[in-house]
Amino acid sequence: MALQTAEEIAEQMEESEDILEHDVQVSPAEEMPGDGPVEEESEQLFLPWDRFSAWLHCICVVGFDLELGQAVEVIYPHHSKLTEKEKTSICYLSFPDSNSGCLGDTQFCFRFRQASNIQPSLGCFLDRCDRDAPVCLKRDQGHFYGYVYFRQVRDKSLKRGYFQKSLVLISKLPYVTFFHSLLKLLAPEYFEKQEPCLEAACNDIDRWPTPTPGKILNLPIMGVVMKLRIPTCYDKPGTSQLVQSTPGDSLVSIVLPTIHEVDLFRCFYPVFFHIQMLWELVLLGESLVVMAPSPSDSSDTVLALVSCLSPLRYCSDFRPYFTIHDSEFKEYTTRTQAPPSVILGVTNPFFAKTLQHWPHIIRIGDMKQTGEVAKQMKVKKLKNLKTLDSKPGVYSAYKPFLNKDEDIIKQLQKGVQQKRPSAAQNAILRRYFLELTQSFIIPLERYVASLMPLQKTISPWKSPPQLRPFLQEEFMKTLEKAGPQLTSRLKGDWIGLYRQFLKSPNFDGWFRNRRKEMMQKLEALHLEALCEEDLQLRIQKHTEVETVDLVLKLKDKLTKAENEQLPVRAGTLTKLQTHIESIILSLPEDLQGILHKPATL
Amino acid sequence: MSVLPPVRRDRVIAQMPPCFSKEAALHTKEEFHPKVKTACQEQKTGTVGFKISKVIVVGDLAVGKTCLINRFCKDTFDKNYKATIGVDFEMERFEVLGVPFSLQLWDTAGQERFKCIASTYYRGAQAIIIVFDLTDVSSLSHARQWLEDAMKENDPSSVLLFLVGTKKDLSSPGQYSQIEEDAVRLSEEIKAEYWAVSALSGEGVREFFFRVASLTFEANVLAELEKSGSRRIGEVVKITSNSSNTKTTSKKKHPNCCQ
Repeated sequence: MALQTAEEIAEQMEESEDILEHDVQVSPAEEMPGDGPVEEESEQLFLPWDRFSAWLHCICVVGFDLELGQAVEVIYPHHSKLTEKEKTSICYLSFPDSNSGCLGDTQFCFRFRQASNIQPSLGCFLDRCDRDAPVCLKRDQGHFYGYVYFRQVRDKSLKRGYFQKSLVLISKLPYVTFFHSLLKLLAPEYFEKQEPCLEAACNDIDRWPTPTPGKILNLPIMGVVMKLRIPTCYDKPGTSQLVQSTPGDSLVSIVLPTIHEVDLFRCFYPVFFHIQMLWELVLLGESLVVMAPSPSDSSDTVLALVSCLSPLRYCSDFRPYFTIHDSEFKEYTTRTQAPPSVILGVTNPFFAKTLQHWPHIIRIGDMKQTGEVAKQMKVKKLKNLKTLDSKPGVYSAYKPFLNKDEDIIKQLQKGVQQKRPSAAQNAILRRYFLELTQSFIIPLERYVASLMPLQKTISPWKSPPQLRPFLQEEFMKTLEKAGPQLTSRLKGDWIGLYRQFLKSPNFDGWFRNRRKEMMQKLEALHLEALCEEDLQLRIQKHTEVETVDLVLKLKDKLTKAENEQLPVRAGTLTKLQTHIESIILSLPEDLQGILHKPATL
Repeated sequence: MSVLPPVRRDRVIAQMPPCFSKEAALHTKEEFHPKVKTACQEQKTGTVGFKISKVIVVGDLAVGKTCLINRFCKDTFDKNYKATIGVDFEMERFEVLGVPFSLQLWDTAGQERFKCIASTYYRGAQAIIIVFDLTDVSSLSHARQWLEDAMKENDPSSVLLFLVGTKKDLSSPGQYSQIEEDAVRLSEEIKAEYWAVSALSGEGVREFFFRVASLTFEANVLAELEKSGSRRIGEVVKITSNSSNTKTTSKKKHPNCCQ
């Protein structure tokens, strides 16, 4: 079977949804909630710094103090809260941890556990933003990202002879490309002009529109306007929807074609013979460590690994840049347990010893020496991994489930020979991963959709029907007719790959999320069915106690629907509210008083 | 495709709006440049790319820069004074000769504290609006300094200048004619177009911004026609979604403007 394009695959996915819709009237993407007036209302409700916190938690300046070592010098805005533990993490993670040159300006990214649970004042609004975002771009619940711009230059006026400072953006949003572009504008200005620059920049950011998926956002900063669009979960995977303006505008307006995609080809270039095996390792949530010469190489490679699963979300922990000072250092490096399901990016040579027992190690040499690549065709044996001087490559004893796709390797190699632009190579590679992931996930999507009960089983006066359970063997049977062979010509042990995947944290995360969406859809359908009923007629046939019970239950459902943003048809909630009101009015006055009190207070 | 809502009906410009004073105008022609008119007519169907110009607004503390912009962009006037921190920003969309055109209005802080970062915001401006207070002679005398600072970051040959006196409603007729005389003289010297407006009453505000939009649009199209020679404007970059060249142009171009 010919290799299908991403569009075709996406169409097929849509088709499978159509079939589903026909049966049970369910489609999560059915309506993009159109919420014009609501939004304008909430725009009014923003307090100072609310808009800022929708984008960033804070901005830190980390410097080097001769006595103290790294220290957070400034936190902006001044009222931002960080625990001591978080500050310590930020300090260590914002500087290169080995004496790798890093002279000049370096950008990289890290991720660390959030120690406290601070809810921003507009939490509920952010939840709504998040609802429409693709899974890979949702706010990271338990972690912060740190986006670093590190400058190290000779300065004879300083005692150490070097100026060393990092400007760090702390955010829950995984928009790596966007934040790096922002830092490129902000950091050089800051190093030159100090605090007024941060004050003005934060003020700019506090006037930005909130990060709402699907809208074209114009973000003025430091005298230019950044123009971008946050993708939505309703977008066709593999497409981008931003219009490029005329080139003259680039002086005053920067268009970001993507906010989160890293250059996969550049990142995987040193190991590109092994991309398919790396995809399997990431898919299965295997323990992986990337040993790189610099924090930027390490963080780029880890982010590339995580994003090669897109649109599937990588659910285990990953640390684009991990140091020996990290609070999880002991937890992750202990030899008393099997290595955890995480991906770590490290630069300190010390890790070569500490993580010697890890099953899969990617060693990346200096990215600039690219000539060597063609020779590293074989996966290296782990026992050959000695300490510092080991050669770049992938060290693992892993036997891939799928046969190697020689075509993609040839295609990329040809590109290298013909000096094809890196952006084109990146697009080829991204498409390859997308098709691979989609071929893998479509059978699962299809099977899980079939677990949804039929529409006709939804009755307003019974609890919503249950989802059928996920049965591994039942799913495996569907693979015979509707397996990945429909969309991928790759041969190999797909069944084995699925069996292994079903045990992995990535499956768990994916299934939980699907299950939640489907249950919410059922709740929503149930609610809609309730709204269509003649409730007045019903209460006439029932006692007062039962009516009160009904009112309480309906109120409960309404609150839940509002809190969870259930995907109900427009107008359903207002209708339900009206129903509740009219039932209450038909009750004796003393009861009316009690029932009118809002249940939420 | 990004679909923007249509431009507001009261932001459509089909005719070159008149200047304020013939003695101090960038030009006094009643029509758009013929070349500009033809270019827009020929390519009405949208091949003329989406155009943007950057406009910076500078001037002394409390002369009413923010009020001027708010009157035009939001049609509001707030009597309370709130100093601008760093910089404010508004994007105003027009349709000039059938072509969508946006003005980025960068409203900079008049405070001394932010002077050091101002240069960052001045870069790449196509028009500079220097604002002074018609009731305060000293604010006019500082105009030249503001211009000098803003010019350091820009190419003098391609920037349009406007000198605007605000708070017209507050000035007495005698005071007004005196300061206007000085302002017109200064405008002639620095080759700026002079305007007098009131953000409180709204007098002259709309007319002024329409003039700014029209003249920057005209200059923008002329510059592009000159640059592209025989090529038709707007054809320089095809509208593609994720092609590689879009990325490189935006990335590559940017550093140039910061140097």
